[in-house]
Amino acid sequence: MFRRQMMAMMVAMLTLFPLTAYADARVTAAGALVDTMISDLETFLATDTGDESARTAEIDRVLNTYFDMDSITRFSAGQYWRAASSEQKTEYGSLFREVLCGTIVRNFDQLQGLAYTADAATAKGDKFVIVSGTFTDTTGQHPAVKVNWRVLTREGAAPKVFDIEIENLSLLVTQKQENVAVIRKNKGEFVALINAMKDRLANPVHNDS
Amino acid sequence: MRDRYEGANRKVFAFNMGVDSYVLEPVAGAYRDTVPEGGQTAVSNHLRWASLPSTAVNSTLQGKFENAALATLHFLVNGLTLGFADLAADEEEQITKEDFGQTLASWNVPEGSYHMVPVLGPRTTRSLGGTVVDFALNPLSVFGTGDVVQTVNAAQAPVGAVSFRAQNYDAINDVKYNSLDPYARTRSVYYQSRQGLLEDRVARGAASAVSEDEFDSLFEEESN
Repeated sequence: MFRRQMMAMMVAMLTLFPLTAYADARVTAAGALVDTMISDLETFLATDTGDESARTAEIDRVLNTYFDMDSITRFSAGQYWRAASSEQKTEYGSLFREVLCGTIVRNFDQLQGLAYTADAATAKGDKFVIVSGTFTDTTGQHPAVKVNWRVLTREGAAPKVFDIEIENLSLLVTQKQENVAVIRKNKGEFVALINAMKDRLANPVHNDS
Repeated sequence: MRDRYEGANRKVFAFNMGVDSYVLEPVAGAYRDTVPEGGQTAVSNHLRWASLPSTAVNSTLQGKFENAALATLHFLVNGLTLGFADLAADEEEQITKEDFGQTLASWNVPEGSYHMVPVLGPRTTRSLGGTVVDFALNPLSVFGTGDVVQTVNAAQAPVGAVSFRAQNYDAINDVKYNSLDPYARTRSVYYQSRQGLLEDRVARGAASAVSEDEFDSLFEEESN
């Protein structure tokens, strides 16, 4: 009886150990990805001259290197992605990227003077790891900002950032809900979202200050 | 998210944007540019102080007694200056703002529908009810006597609106001028931040704001 219980325990441990080790490896890899990305950005910020094209190129590179742009693009269109034609998907993908780049470049100055501290990394299910950190304003003018990086960790693939949550506000979910609202307002026509994005890119307002 | 009055809400939102463009945005811009930083801090200190009785009462109703005690203590200490000076700045960071909408949520009152309220902005039915109760808990409305106190009390709502707009000037302008659908973006931001408050995620910081179910569609798509 005792031997049978011991055997069962050993089998359970052997089964669970690889799962725990895999989860730990995912957490470590996700944390390392965010650390590398931050140090990469800090290097750029240290020599940033404010040149918009250099900033755009840098953001483009960061998106390519650290973000899962395919999954982000697909998710951001919500349930309407399936109904879109392949031409619409391609066009939407490049417009979405342009809008995203533009948004980050427009707010790039806000990154100056920020110091990042990594706080914790936690596995969320078997696909995501949440890497938490804090941005502190080195000038002391603004309060510290909590940020969560939602990292997609697929088995057999390099981890990539999927979403950023600032003070518990998901940028990707917000964008998705806005995109879906635009399509819904136009009777489910995916092309309406494409047109709205084209219009926004053609007529930027940028009333920031 | 239940936005069953979306048509009417969008009309109210357009009205609110008009009020913002003609009144709040220019006044907040001028406030930001002309009032010294110390003055702006004093105003936001006072507004935070005025919300402490509500936080104390609601924390108690939700069983968060430590938060209630801290809020009461800070209210009494900073009351010496009507809250304009923060005499206990370090500890105040630990106080989590609690409103009656959160109390109703903790009592499992359903959130109801989404409403765009003229001037006040987005609210669920539940949080709108909470706003009315919180307004009644304003210390200057309850105990205020004397001309100076009454003047401060009367100025609180408009100054609060200007101060909030000035503090979030760029973020609100970004939504207003650069988003594809400012109404939908505002609704999304409101729901997410409200959800974070209701589940105390903002205070904890490390937890994710979004339900994991939100991302299921990504993997359903891949498995098909």
